[in-house]
Amino acid sequence: MNVRAATRVFDTLVIGGGIAGLQTALDLADLGLSVAIVEKDASIGGKMIGLSKVFPTLDCASCITTPKMAAAAHHENIRIFTLAEVSSVVRRGEDFTARVTLKPRFVDEDRCIGCRLCEYACDADVADDFEGGLSSHRAIYVPFTNAIPQIAVLDPEECNLCGKCVKVCPTDAVVLDQKPREIEIEVRSVVVATGFETTPMGARSEYHGNEIANVISPLTMERLLAPHGPYGRVLRPADGKVPDSVAFVQCAGSRDRSLGVPYCSRVCCMYAIKQAMLLSGSLPFADITIYTMDIRAFGKGYETFYHNASAMGIEFVKGKVARIDEVDDRNVEVRVEHIDERGQVEERRHDLVVLSLGMLPAADLRDRMPIGVSADGFVTVPKPTIEPCRTTEEGVFVSGTAAGPKDIVDAIAEAGAAAMAVSVYLKKKEPEGCAACAVTAGSDTP
Amino acid sequence: MSARADPTLMKEIGLFGAADVSACFNCGNCTAICPLSKGDTVFPRKVIRYLQLGLTGQLEESPEPWLCYYCGECSATCPREAHPGEIMMATRRWLISRYDWTGISRLLYTSKAWEIGLSLVLGLIVVMLFALLHGPVVTERVELNTFAPVPSIETADWIVAALMTFFLLTNAGRMFRFTMRGVKAGLSVYLSEISTFFVHMLFQKRWRECHGPKIHWLKHFLLVTGYLTMFFLVFVFLPWFQTDGWNVSSLFGYYATAVLLYGTVDAIIGRLRRREEIHKHSHHTDWMFLFLLFSIALTGILVHVFRVVGLPHATYYAYVIHLAVDAPWLILIVPFGKWSHLLYRPLGMYLVSVRARATSTAAAGGVVPNPV
Repeated sequence: MNVRAATRVFDTLVIGGGIAGLQTALDLADLGLSVAIVEKDASIGGKMIGLSKVFPTLDCASCITTPKMAAAAHHENIRIFTLAEVSSVVRRGEDFTARVTLKPRFVDEDRCIGCRLCEYACDADVADDFEGGLSSHRAIYVPFTNAIPQIAVLDPEECNLCGKCVKVCPTDAVVLDQKPREIEIEVRSVVVATGFETTPMGARSEYHGNEIANVISPLTMERLLAPHGPYGRVLRPADGKVPDSVAFVQCAGSRDRSLGVPYCSRVCCMYAIKQAMLLSGSLPFADITIYTMDIRAFGKGYETFYHNASAMGIEFVKGKVARIDEVDDRNVEVRVEHIDERGQVEERRHDLVVLSLGMLPAADLRDRMPIGVSADGFVTVPKPTIEPCRTTEEGVFVSGTAAGPKDIVDAIAEAGAAAMAVSVYLKKKEPEGCAACAVTAGSDTP
Repeated sequence: MSARADPTLMKEIGLFGAADVSACFNCGNCTAICPLSKGDTVFPRKVIRYLQLGLTGQLEESPEPWLCYYCGECSATCPREAHPGEIMMATRRWLISRYDWTGISRLLYTSKAWEIGLSLVLGLIVVMLFALLHGPVVTERVELNTFAPVPSIETADWIVAALMTFFLLTNAGRMFRFTMRGVKAGLSVYLSEISTFFVHMLFQKRWRECHGPKIHWLKHFLLVTGYLTMFFLVFVFLPWFQTDGWNVSSLFGYYATAVLLYGTVDAIIGRLRRREEIHKHSHHTDWMFLFLLFSIALTGILVHVFRVVGLPHATYYAYVIHLAVDAPWLILIVPFGKWSHLLYRPLGMYLVSVRARATSTAAAGGVVPNPV
């Protein structure tokens, strides 16, 4: 059975092409169901493709994410729309009609061969958000090394309209007058996999996260640690110094009612410990401190991971950092009550400080589709213990961190569960046998 | 050192205005955000921990609540919204009631009915005393000193002052005993630190180390100057101040009245609006404090206005009401209520510096200091 791409009729619409959306789509596609993935960015891969390594196995994130991205892109039952956003999903009887806005890429997707000649010709430099703003790309660029699709995208805000890219393109793919387009997709089920954003760096004003150059976000630290990151090694952003002392400030964006984020984001303890371990590898002589209220190492192998870090000489200080300031030589001072040291208030200096930010829902789809959203902003799951992927709306499912904070291990497990829930739902809707069964039965009429 | 745990302490502190001490999960943010929290005096978390564990004895010995000036930064940034600033405030109220050996403080703080009832009774006693004992009522012109002769009022003044001083000093003695339990300091140490007491009493110097605008300190400082001016006018310069003619002391009276009216009205508006952390929570004793101080200033200036305008009856009535609101202030609020912070705050700071000096001298001399 082939994807009914031209007709834009699919069994399932997956909103979000991060690791959870990809896993759900791949599982469904392998069952023989047709899937449309709508991704708002220029490449699929989500947050995970930007990570260096993942806990607790310390697998290279690129090495395990890229194959999934490629598998989805090449799957005959999957159609991927990048730079696309769902503007509405409306129920039509048993099915749904989704309106999707395709934002202009200014590059013809069918013609571009990803040769990057346009990128080399372009003069305009733009801070690269994928690298935490620590390096730059051109105004026309392939999003990152292992982006999928490997197609250039043009940033109209930064383009100076010199036309060099148009001239140099061997396939005449650059289209400077592209307009946004609306398309309609008919689907029988929807999976919300919109993922998360980190709490803003400036959420807590006493941390001066947006003002001090050497206070960075955890995703920026991931890029510093990635072998193909902005510097190719760990340097601090303000002056390129090799840091001798690095600190992690835990709960910088979760478990804090004063920020409106009362819940635990679950991943911060583990990613901080992982980054600390990786730092001890790349900076063997650096002092590494993790300031924490307590360590929540909840998963299989996680407690061992934590104790290993401790045994490696990573210092754990009990106490919530209250204030972060820039001091001499662009160093960073944190003020903390050292609870295990007679509660003394200490002002400790570090070369580089990472704010262990929490997870916020990346999208609120309430106005665009029938879906329940909880007070914390994540998709409502009425029966989380027994039906983790079912939402308040029949035929609409949720996968990954759109339903709540979780790590990659759990996101992938849940993504598989979402695929199973969707296929069971579709099978029940079609008592005479769904597409998947038709394939396994060898029938020629799906 | 042994410790007794009192499981009812958290519930008890609730009566003094701390809404939910158990909300705190002891992350230490409040202590680390506070610029006044340093060295060996760290708070609020330590105080909250004592409350959670029911360590009544340790809490009683803690001068820390007196070192906090309630800028509210801890409450604004508390991850649990446990309002540590207000817990410190409630602990100060609790400490006042622990220092007080008569039990009156506790009654005032834990019962609205008792506070209002006792205040009314004292006011009525003043009214009755005037009804029975007032001097001749001259109606042709205002003769306040005939209606209420200065010598009688001065005598009453001194009786009240003696009572006030007695209760305040005996309570302060208990505070001293609690705070210095287990500390050995020579007389020379006490003498060498005595300036700390007066500097903090008069200028609230430590408050200026808080972050944020200094406007709260300035307003409070003005209030202190106004209050002390009025105190001296009434207790020392009464023969000049309570005159039927004109005396230069009136000028001081104008200043004190203006400052007291401004300060109290400003605080009342602040507490009604509840915008700043310091004004978000109001215990009934906070309202009584402001109400009485405002009424004293208002009735005081009314006596003056009626006298100058030449309204004999109005002047005499205003005078009786003025003294009727003075009585609960002087007899209840000063020795047993919120006013007593005028003494306990600088005393707390003084004792902390004595303790620090004693400990450092002992350490320098190779003597092991008593574990506290």
